Amino acid sequence: MVARRRKRAARESEKGILSPPGYSAIPIKFSEKQQSSHYLYVREHKVREGTKSSWPQKRTLFVLNVPPYCTEQECLSRLLSPCGPVQSVELQEKPDLAESPKEPKSKFFHPKPVPGFQVAYVVFQKPRGVSAALALKGPLLVSTESHPVKSGIHKWIRDYADSVLDPEALRVEVDTFMETYDEKMAEEEAKAKEEEGVPDEEGWVKVTRRGRRPVLPRTEAASLRVLEREKRKRARKELLNFYAWQHRETKMEHLAQLRKKFQEDKQRIELMRAQRKFRPY
Amino acid sequence: MGPAHKGAQHRGTAGEPEVMASALEGIGKEGKKESSKKRSGSPVEGLLQPVKLSRAELYKEPTNEELNRLRETESLFHSSLLRLQVEELLKEVRLSEKKKERIDAFLQKVNQRIMRVPSTPETELTNQAWLRDGVRVPLHQVPYTVKGCFRFLPPAQVTVVGSYLLGTCIRPDINVDVALTMPREILQDKDGLNQRYFRKRALYLAHLAHHLSQDPLFGSVRFSYTNGCHLKPSLLLRPHGKDERLVTVRLHPCPPPDFFRPCRLLPSKNNVRTAWYQGQSPSGDGSPEPPTPHYNTWVLQDTALESHAQLLSTVLGSASGLKDGVALLKVWLRQRELDKGLGGFSGFLVSMLVAFLVSTHKIHTTMSGYQVLRSTLQFLASTDLTVNGISLCFSSDPSLPALADFHQAFPVVFLDSSGRLNLCADVTASTCHQVQHEARLSMVLLDSKADDGFQLLLMTPKPMVRAFDHILHLHPLSRLQAACHRLKLWPELQDHGGDYVSAALGPLTTLLEQGLGSRLHLLAHSRPPVSEWDISQDPPKHRDSGVLTLGLLLRPEGLTSVLELGPEADQPEAADFRQFWGSRSELRRFQDGAIREAVVWEAASMAQKRLIPHQVVTHLLTLHADIPDTCVHYTGGHLDALIQSLKETFSTGEEALAAAVRCYDDLSRLLWGLEGLPLTVSAVQGAHPVLRYTEVFPPTAVRPAYSFYEQLQERASLLPRPDKPCPAYVEPMTVVCHLEGSGQWPQDAEAIRRVRAAFQLRLAELLTQQHGLQCRATATHTDVLKDGFVFRIRVAYQREPQILREMRSPEGIISLRDTPASLRLERDTRQLPLLTSTLHGLQQQHPAFSGVARLAKRWVRAQLLGEELTDESLDLVAAALFLHPEPFTPPSSPQVGFLRFLFLISTFDWKNNPLIVNLNNELTAEEQVEIRSVFLATRTKLPVMVIITPQDRKSSVWTQDGPSPQILHQLMVLAAEALPVLEKQLMDPQGPGDIRTAFRPPLDMYDVLIHLSPRHIPRHRQAVDSPAASFCRGLLSEPGPSSLMPVLGYDPPQLYLVQLREAFGDLALFFYDQHGGKVIGVLWKPTSFQPQPLKASNTKGRMVVSQGGELVMVPNVEAILEDFAILGEGLVQAVEARSERWTV
Repeated sequence: MVARRRKRAARESEKGILSPPGYSAIPIKFSEKQQSSHYLYVREHKVREGTKSSWPQKRTLFVLNVPPYCTEQECLSRLLSPCGPVQSVELQEKPDLAESPKEPKSKFFHPKPVPGFQVAYVVFQKPRGVSAALALKGPLLVSTESHPVKSGIHKWIRDYADSVLDPEALRVEVDTFMETYDEKMAEEEAKAKEEEGVPDEEGWVKVTRRGRRPVLPRTEAASLRVLEREKRKRARKELLNFYAWQHRETKMEHLAQLRKKFQEDKQRIELMRAQRKFRPY
Repeated sequence: MGPAHKGAQHRGTAGEPEVMASALEGIGKEGKKESSKKRSGSPVEGLLQPVKLSRAELYKEPTNEELNRLRETESLFHSSLLRLQVEELLKEVRLSEKKKERIDAFLQKVNQRIMRVPSTPETELTNQAWLRDGVRVPLHQVPYTVKGCFRFLPPAQVTVVGSYLLGTCIRPDINVDVALTMPREILQDKDGLNQRYFRKRALYLAHLAHHLSQDPLFGSVRFSYTNGCHLKPSLLLRPHGKDERLVTVRLHPCPPPDFFRPCRLLPSKNNVRTAWYQGQSPSGDGSPEPPTPHYNTWVLQDTALESHAQLLSTVLGSASGLKDGVALLKVWLRQRELDKGLGGFSGFLVSMLVAFLVSTHKIHTTMSGYQVLRSTLQFLASTDLTVNGISLCFSSDPSLPALADFHQAFPVVFLDSSGRLNLCADVTASTCHQVQHEARLSMVLLDSKADDGFQLLLMTPKPMVRAFDHILHLHPLSRLQAACHRLKLWPELQDHGGDYVSAALGPLTTLLEQGLGSRLHLLAHSRPPVSEWDISQDPPKHRDSGVLTLGLLLRPEGLTSVLELGPEADQPEAADFRQFWGSRSELRRFQDGAIREAVVWEAASMAQKRLIPHQVVTHLLTLHADIPDTCVHYTGGHLDALIQSLKETFSTGEEALAAAVRCYDDLSRLLWGLEGLPLTVSAVQGAHPVLRYTEVFPPTAVRPAYSFYEQLQERASLLPRPDKPCPAYVEPMTVVCHLEGSGQWPQDAEAIRRVRAAFQLRLAELLTQQHGLQCRATATHTDVLKDGFVFRIRVAYQREPQILREMRSPEGIISLRDTPASLRLERDTRQLPLLTSTLHGLQQQHPAFSGVARLAKRWVRAQLLGEELTDESLDLVAAALFLHPEPFTPPSSPQVGFLRFLFLISTFDWKNNPLIVNLNNELTAEEQVEIRSVFLATRTKLPVMVIITPQDRKSSVWTQDGPSPQILHQLMVLAAEALPVLEKQLMDPQGPGDIRTAFRPPLDMYDVLIHLSPRHIPRHRQAVDSPAASFCRGLLSEPGPSSLMPVLGYDPPQLYLVQLREAFGDLALFFYDQHGGKVIGVLWKPTSFQPQPLKASNTKGRMVVSQGGELVMVPNVEAILEDFAILGEGLVQAVEARSERWTV
């Protein structure tokens, strides 16, 4: 392994760091101690004409392959701040254009996911930051003495402590949510009530489940039930084994069943023979 | 980069896929097969496809032949599948015509050679100097002196007898029995006395052996015993060269017809004089000589060889169905190890039984082989030959002895057509009962509509160690000689010609059967194997005939009592009871005032109670048979050590589990009675392995030592401290709490979650207020600390899965579609509690279930595969062993259950069969057929391992997310390797040695090993090889106040694994034993090591390299290896890269 490492080192110094076309590579390490590094592949965030993107053009840096120990947003912004002041950092599972930076999720109902390798959109305050970042040589160090990043046992203990949440805060959050929800429901109901029985401009009246007379619910299960009932009604009227051809047909059907079974069995036997299943010992 | 370098790199990449493939050996192949099947759905080898026949084929006019065959199948066989299977099996075991010709040619040559053996002059029997060097008399001549003269003359007649002529002999060991009729000149009057006939027979063979061994025609010439009888050697001849394995010709000398007078050989007659046998001069005191029924029978057997052959050929000769039936019966017996050795239920015996059934019109000659098998089993199941003997002799000759006379002399009676010879003379009562037991089990199987009756009946071997709950070996056998004297068995010894093993067998088994009483269902013994030896050696001694193995089939209901209740003290039977139990019997006063004799065994836990038979056996054998307990090697609880917690070595955890379940019952009562909830509790259901008795290591009440932890006072919780070792692992037990229905629930998924959270909070509040329990509520659950156990209560709303499923189509119709979230919720709140309560019920019926399920899980986890298979799926496989034990009975000990688990895992054809676990017997036979056909039709959409229960008839919920085909294959391979190792250990009379061998995982297949530091493994002490010392885990030994919530579910190795899988899941697989494993095995995925084109979504952990001038992405292995250490800082001791396979 040592030999290989030396070889690799030699190769790197010879050729510089390879990067995919359009990207530049920045080596990143957890700390000084780590010998080989991962590579961040970065480029300027661009989208085709006409596509909407919530990240500002020119000022956004698109980062691939962010290692799992570098998932705090502060961490990336600290590493990239030498290039220029960072406005925001958004970490994602996959590159995703359509989604805008989301509103912060409730920590009670959406526990923090365990991070893997991620992609990041880093928005600088000035477009200059992007070009500076593209020219960055690295290697970047995630955990330094001045800014240690926890990993392993220390991280898990902190995570555990974080998972013990305050029930009071939870109660407050639930109450606020339910209040808004109730208001929304009340509003909808009032609106539905207003529309009840009022024909629209073409004269159609909307029938809702809150009407005076109960109606069939518009679900798939209900329509299936109706179909089933129809079928049963029809089957009850039919006569079985009444005509001679019906007799003949049932007999033939029985024979066909037997044949089919026989074929199946033969196939099964064939398979078992192939697996040498008939060697008793 | 120079060109040379480039070339080397090239070679490296070209070689790489090959190396990868060999890394996963076969697994990869299997996987490819599976995946190609999934993609194209094209017919794949080894997989059943639904049959597609065209309409024209299905509805064409039937031919006569076809109709006949269909009709025959309907009337003569169970189903067409069975018929085809039987035909295939017979093809497999039958002798081919080609081989028959070769055997016939060989037999002719044998005949010529025998006739050419020169005769010898007459000498005294005791003068054996004429016998050449290089051959020894194949008989123990004790006592040596005997009157009479011997000379060798070529046989008067050489006849082939036995199954070869009938065409019922079955492969793989083809034997041809040849009877050599000794000329009358060799024999003298009174040769029936004092083993004289047997001595002459042995000398006859010795001379024959000497001459035949010179002949190059024979590859080997050896001696053996006829059916294991020590007085009757036979000579085995095998052809030379490549035909050596083809056939064994067995030569049996026999007397000329009508030489012995039958009336001299009745079971009541004596033919071995006591004075001669004991080497004294005749005392003449007129005391009656003891009868020698077995000796007489052995002589009679020789006289009847030909008549038996004739009888069988007349009965079976023309009826092919009968021959098929006999062949099937032989396979049946052999699978059950019933046919070998002295007193075995041999093929000859079963042929005679069929002949008997034909003569009593129970079998007709036109019956099919299957029907013969069925009728014979039916007869065996319903007739107890130890009480009601049967006879082939229908003459009413008054001179013939009555059946009752035979019953007096022999335990099992089946007379031949002469009415004087008991064919079952050597069969012990236990063997007979075992046959009867097997026949009964088989009849149940045949009567049920299960369609794989054939497999279970004729193709599944039943070795003793897997069939019986407990096994015991008697070793060394020489102790049985002393036992014979202690049991006063001198007449029997005289009768058996000094064979103390078979003489003692009957009395010993009766003794044990009586002692084990209600604990015992069936006792069986192994029959000494028939040894073979070289002609230049002395015959093997009795004590060398291996080991005597007894198998005990236990009755679970009898196992719970520690008391052997005797008669009242003043009854006359009390003396017998005292005599039988010796010093263990004591007088006791019972609650009803009675004073009785009783024996009390020491057993506190379930595990010890299961082993009471061990105490009984050793006590009785020492007391009555003078066999010390050093000679009794009892195998019943060797595997218990693997599911014992370190502190309680006397229990296998059933008690601890019961304590946890009791605590849960208390809690559910509190929940029921809770006041102040907006909706009342409608049901409380357990959903955790502990609550169905299948948690490998049951939880104990936690008493944390506060100084060991950081305290979070405002939340009343403890936190782990980085400077201390990892605290003890406490896993909360999940309980699902259903609330009564109400129209007030919101109809929106997000809102429902909020309302549920409100309920969780309220629940915690009320439990604290009303019962003073320490609680901690979160949005999804409430943790409750009760009596040291921690429960995790989840409130469930019945309609929530429904709401998650609702989808609105563009037309506004609401349809229900399964979504991952709805399926998960359905599984957690409905199916899991249901399964838990059903298995809880199963445990009440079968007390061994807990042990078996836990051993099974323990083993799978120890093989590092525990996380690939869900807990529930393994529990269901274990449950299947109890609900569908055929061809066995439900296991009553963890040991036998575990062996059957390994057998099931290693042999089950998951590809073509669903494992149907018929919980509570809810599925009818028709429904099972339906399930199977649906399974075949939808096979490609189902997971690799399909387990069907009445609650889950289609989707196999518990195996949806794994195992993958590769993992399942690996599991099967491991099980197939572990089973023989373990069985060999358990059957070893010297003691099993290191029983944990089968539990240690092979580590050489992994590419990288991550060694963990025991300091941060909370379950370190649970490891298969438990460490002598571990770290303090912050627990107090005596009860203390515990008002703070202990650290819950904090297991660093598990947290580490989650991180590893999330970060490197698409590059590698991670394997770990959660029960104290110190190593994580890492296997690189070969596919992800193929260089890949650049893609923004595919850069995880990879780097760009140039390969042949092109830029491609490959895993950045060296950095990843270092990441392993970084992510697990403090936990990881070392990362050991073991293979160079990842070279890129």
